[in-house]
Amino acid sequence: MEESPLHPFELHNWIPISLGGLDISINKAVVMMWVVVSLVTVLMVMAGSARKLVPGKLQSLAEIMVDFIRSMIMDTMGKAGMRFFPLIATLFLFILFCNLIGMIPGSYTVTSQIIVTAVFSFLVYGLSLVMGFLLHGVKYLGVLVPPGTPGWLVPLMIPIEIMSQVARPISLAVRLFANMTAGHVLLGVLFGMAISGGLLIGWLPFAFTIAINGLEVGIAFIQAYIFTMLTCVYLGDAFHLHGGDDHAH
Amino acid sequence: MPQFESHFFSSLIFWEVLSFAILFFVLYKFAFPGILSMLEEREKKIKDSLDQAEHHRSEAERKLKEYEAKLNTAAKEADGILAAAKERAQRLMEENEQRMTVEAERIKGDATREIDHERRKAIQDIRAQTTDLALMVAEKVVQRSLNEADHRKFADEALEALSKSYQR
Repeated sequence: MEESPLHPFELHNWIPISLGGLDISINKAVVMMWVVVSLVTVLMVMAGSARKLVPGKLQSLAEIMVDFIRSMIMDTMGKAGMRFFPLIATLFLFILFCNLIGMIPGSYTVTSQIIVTAVFSFLVYGLSLVMGFLLHGVKYLGVLVPPGTPGWLVPLMIPIEIMSQVARPISLAVRLFANMTAGHVLLGVLFGMAISGGLLIGWLPFAFTIAINGLEVGIAFIQAYIFTMLTCVYLGDAFHLHGGDDHAH
Repeated sequence: MPQFESHFFSSLIFWEVLSFAILFFVLYKFAFPGILSMLEEREKKIKDSLDQAEHHRSEAERKLKEYEAKLNTAAKEADGILAAAKERAQRLMEENEQRMTVEAERIKGDATREIDHERRKAIQDIRAQTTDLALMVAEKVVQRSLNEADHRKFADEALEALSKSYQR
């Protein structure tokens, strides 16, 4: 193989810009973010202003996504969670469109950059911490001791729970990054095999490429869903300490 | 891996945060309120329509029951009227029949009485005339006059004999 399967993830500065010593150069990933922002804006703003009782195709699409996120929030956080709706919905749409745009050959999957997913996951986890301490004060540290833990287990449980809490943002970031990267690596490897295999044997990996491509579209949806779902769960945990409804509201 | 080349991190973070913030602001301001209110409006509309349909249905059912009850009452009433009419007709007929019978009886009785009367009168007339005739004949035969009582006595005897012979 002439080309590494990781080649599609390489970035090159297209327009070097520096802001007070901070490098904010334009590269392919940045342009893709702009594309995503434009697409989502056009879709959602048009759907939001259409306001037809019997929706058209575009309005239906937007409403399906909005309703999907709304019911996800309702299921995990209840009505009180709806104050996070704009944030969670924007997160879902941004990640979903980043994942999907990346499926177009020649484009770039923004979410295959660990730093991009990390920013989102730390934003979400940070928000859940802030919410937890704002709503429950110091009692929020109680998340480290699950309800029903016998007293003698507490010294053991606290380190374990701290680890599980720390794992949350990391796993959230790595899961999305790894899924997006792995899918594209797999596609790259298979396609490389198809090219180098020639007609006689190359059709097999090529057929796999097509199949995996379909799978990747599904994964793009599923990963956006998982990221958003876990966001809801983490924020919900901050809301309802130990799953009890009595503390929040 | 190219994703761990940290010299791209600063620009990626900067543009990601900026893009996300812009997208969040635009959607928050111009898209979500419209879509959410639309969804709620539609939900409300559907719920209202369903409620209304349910209401109409129960109303229709109620009306149907009402009409059925009315129909039943009307049928019963008609039956009652029919029965009363039949009874009245029967009674009238019976009354008429009775009256006719009584009337016929009366007419028959009257006629019988009249006939009886006439018959008796006729017999008496005949008797009187016969007596006179016989007297006249006897006077001629005896050539002497008898007094009235004698006449009667003889005439009666003669008549008695006559009727006896007649009967025989």
